[in-house]
Amino acid sequence: MPSDQGDGVDARSPKDRHGRSILSNTLLARPETPALLFLILLLAVFSVTTKGFFSVNNFIGILEQGVIIAIVGLAVNQVILSAEIDVSVGSVLAVCAFIYGNLAMMFGGNLLPLFATLAVGTAIGLLNGVLSTYGKVPSIITTLGALFVYRGLILLLAGAQVLNVPKTSRVLGLSDVAGIPVSVLLLVVLAVGFYWVSTNTAWGRNIYAVGGNESGATTLGLPVNRTRLIAFVLSGAACGLAAAGFLGQIGQLQATAGTSFELRVITAVVLGGTSIRGGRGSVFSPIVGALLVGVILNAMTLNRVPGTMELFVLGVLILLSVSSEGIRQRYLEKKI
Amino acid sequence: MQEVSSTSRRQLLCALRNVSKRFGNIQACQGIDLELFTGEVVAVVGENGAGKSTVSKCLYGLYSPSEGHVEFDGKPVEFRGPSDGENAGIVMIPQELDLFPELSVVENIWMGLERPRRWFGAFDAGAMEKRARELLHRLGLFVDVNTPAKLLSAANGKLVEVARALNANARVIIMDEPTASLTEREVFNLFSVVRSLKRSNVAVLYITHRLDEVFEVCDRAVVLRDGRMISDRPTSDETVSGLVRKMVGRPVEQLFVRHPHEIGDVVLEVEGLGSGSAFQDVSFRLHEGEILGISGLIGAGRSEIAETLFGLRDRTAGTVRLNGEISNISSVQGAFRHGIGMVPEERRTLGLILPFSVKHNVTFSSLLKFMRSIFIDTSAEDKFAENAAKEVTIVGAGLDDPVSALSGGNQQKVVVAKALARNPKILILDEPTRGVDIGAKSEIYRIIDGLAKQGHAVLMISSELNEILAMCDRTLVMREGRLVRSFDRKDFSPDVIGSAAAGVTVDSHA
Repeated sequence: MPSDQGDGVDARSPKDRHGRSILSNTLLARPETPALLFLILLLAVFSVTTKGFFSVNNFIGILEQGVIIAIVGLAVNQVILSAEIDVSVGSVLAVCAFIYGNLAMMFGGNLLPLFATLAVGTAIGLLNGVLSTYGKVPSIITTLGALFVYRGLILLLAGAQVLNVPKTSRVLGLSDVAGIPVSVLLLVVLAVGFYWVSTNTAWGRNIYAVGGNESGATTLGLPVNRTRLIAFVLSGAACGLAAAGFLGQIGQLQATAGTSFELRVITAVVLGGTSIRGGRGSVFSPIVGALLVGVILNAMTLNRVPGTMELFVLGVLILLSVSSEGIRQRYLEKKI
Repeated sequence: MQEVSSTSRRQLLCALRNVSKRFGNIQACQGIDLELFTGEVVAVVGENGAGKSTVSKCLYGLYSPSEGHVEFDGKPVEFRGPSDGENAGIVMIPQELDLFPELSVVENIWMGLERPRRWFGAFDAGAMEKRARELLHRLGLFVDVNTPAKLLSAANGKLVEVARALNANARVIIMDEPTASLTEREVFNLFSVVRSLKRSNVAVLYITHRLDEVFEVCDRAVVLRDGRMISDRPTSDETVSGLVRKMVGRPVEQLFVRHPHEIGDVVLEVEGLGSGSAFQDVSFRLHEGEILGISGLIGAGRSEIAETLFGLRDRTAGTVRLNGEISNISSVQGAFRHGIGMVPEERRTLGLILPFSVKHNVTFSSLLKFMRSIFIDTSAEDKFAENAAKEVTIVGAGLDDPVSALSGGNQQKVVVAKALARNPKILILDEPTRGVDIGAKSEIYRIIDGLAKQGHAVLMISSELNEILAMCDRTLVMREGRLVRSFDRKDFSPDVIGSAAAGVTVDSHA
C-alpha cells in the first residue's frame, strides 16, 4: 500500500489509529459481563447481610438448584443465538424423566436409562429442528406445539403413575466427588465442551453468523438450515441428559413435573446476556443467568421473603436487565 | 489517472455469453456479452431498472441465466448459487454492508471459508488474526481485528468486505455502488484500494451511478439500457455527456402525456429545510398546478425530503409554509390534515398491504370518509373504490382480489388511487414509475398530468431523467444532501441535469 497510510499504530494494542481505547475489545463489552458483575455484587451483599448465605453447603445448594436449568440452557442458548427459539424443553424434560424413571424401576442402573433418554431427547430435538428449518414452520410454533403434545402424552399415558426411583439409579442427582455434586461437575465439563465447539468448529461460528445476519449467511453459502438443526438436536439431547439429573435430585415424579421449566431456561439465557433476537451472546450466558436466579431465590428464602414473591421478582429482574442492556448497547455503539 | 496494463498480461478471466434473464413476463436483461480481463476495472452504468444488478447476479451465481451461460477460465460453468461463484473466485460486495454485526473483524474475514487449524484440531486464532491483519494493512486499514463489525464505519466495513473477498482468493470482485455511503475522503481511499486490486491482477466489475467515478478508476465502461448492452468501450473514448445520452436515449414522445396547465399560487414554501445528516439547507416553492421534479442520484437525500414533508422524519432545521402559514407537520396524520399525500418509493413495503383486497388498499387511509357513526358504510366504500379503480384504470384483478395478484404497474396504480382518495392538494410522488412496465408508466403519467390540470401541486422525485424532462415544469437537482441546481423547463437538457446530479461539469470531459 502507499506509504501515506504509514501512520498506523501497532494493530495488536487495543486502541485504534485515533488512540481511542476500544471498549468492545475488553471484558466489559462481553455479553455476559453485566450479569456476572451483578452476580458478584449480589454474592458480596448477601454474604454480608444474610445470615447463613455464605457457607459451602448453601453455595452447593444454589448450584444444585441451578444446574438442571444451566445444562439445558447451554443448548437452548445456541438455539436462541441462531435466532430461533425452543419453548418445548419443559415437556421434553418431563418425557425423558418418565422414560428414565420407568426404565430405572424395571432394570435399575444408570447408564441404560440415561442412554435411552438421550436417544429420545435427541429424536425429539431432531423433529423440532427439521420442522423449524427445512419444514419452514416458525420455531415458536413448532416448539409450542411440541410443548403441548409431549405434556399431553404424559398426561394420557402416565397421568396416574407415581414413580419412585431407587437410590442406586440416582447417581446424577445424589452422588458427589470431593463434596461437589456429580451434576455440577457434568455442567462444568459440558460448559468447557460447548465453549470449545463454539470457538473451534465452523458450526459454532456459523451459529452467530446465521443468527446475526441471516441474509448475509445465505449469500456466503453457509448451511443455514443445518446449523440451526444441530442446535435443536443439542437442545433435545440436553433435555435427555438433564432429565437424569432432574429425576435423580427429586426421586419422585408426577405428570406435571417440569411445568414452566422452559420459561426458567429462557430466563437464564436472557439474563445471562444473550439477545433474544439472536446473534449476540456468550456460551456461558445460561450458567451466569441460572446462578443469578438461584442466588436471588436462595437469599429470598433465607430472608423469609414469602415464596409468593418469586415470580414477581423474576419478572422485574428480566425487565431491568433487558432495558439496561439497551442503554449499554447505545453507549457501546461508537463507530470507528 | 489510468494505469496502462501491458497487453501481454491482458488475459480473459470470465465472461457472460449471450446471457438473458427473465422473471415471468419481465425481461430483466437480454443478450448480454460481457468479458472481464485480469487487472481490469469495468464500470457498469445505466438508469435504475436497466439491468445492472441482474447482470452482476448472473455473473456470481445468485441467478442462473434463462439463456446463455457464464464462462470462467475459458470454460462454460454453471453456478448453482453464490457459493459456487465464490469457490470459482467471483465475490460480490453488495451496496449495503452485509457483515455479521456481533462478530469480530477476524471472524467476518474468515466466515464461510476454511479456517486454519492447529495440530489438535482447534482453530488457529493466531494465524487467523495474522492473515486478517495482513489483508487489512494491504488495504490501508489499521483497526483492532477483534473489534465487532457493528462498531465499524461504513467505509471501514467496506474494506473488511474487500479483505474477505481477497481472503476467499477472489479473482473477480463485483462492487455494487461501493461509494454510496462514503465520504469524499473515504471514496479517495477506496479508489486506491481498487487500483491496488488491479495491480494484483484482480478484475473488478464496478457498478455505479456516479459518472465521475467511471472516469476516475475504470478502464472500460459498459452501458446498459432496458436490459440490453448499449455500448462497451474504453473510458478514454467516452465522455460524461456521451454516457448520459446512451443511458437515457430512447424514443420518449409517445410514452409521456403532457397538456398545458396553468400554474397558480404558491401552496408550499420550504426554506432552509434540513434533517440530520440526510439533507441540509433545502429551499423551494411549489405552486398550484405545477409539476416540480427532484432529480439526482440515489442517496442524494431526495426521498428524505419527501419523508420530512410527509411527517415521517424529523425536521432539524428550516421552515415549511403551507399556503403562506408556517406549519409544523410531525406526523402522517398531520400531513393528511394539511392536504399532503404521498406515493412512497417502496410500494410493496410502505405503500400497500399485499394480502388486503384492492378495495381495502384504496380506502384504508381514508376510512373516515365512509363512517356512519362508528360503523363503516361499506356500500359507500365499495362505490368509492370502484370509481377510484376506474379513474386510474386498474386492470388484472377485481376489487375484492388481493392486491398481490396485480402486476407491479397496477399495484402502483392502487397506491396512487389510495393517495388520491384523500383528495390531497399536494401530492408527493417518490419514483412513481420504478419497476413498472411501459404501459402502466404511460397511465401513471396520464394521471399525473390530469392532477396538474385540476390544480393539484405535484412534487415528483425521479431518477429517470426522461421522466423529469418530459413531465416537469421545473426541476430541482440534489446531490449529497444538498440542492445544487434548479432548472426551468426551457433550460432542460439531459446533459446539464445529469451532470449536475453527478457533480461534474460537462465541458471538462466533452
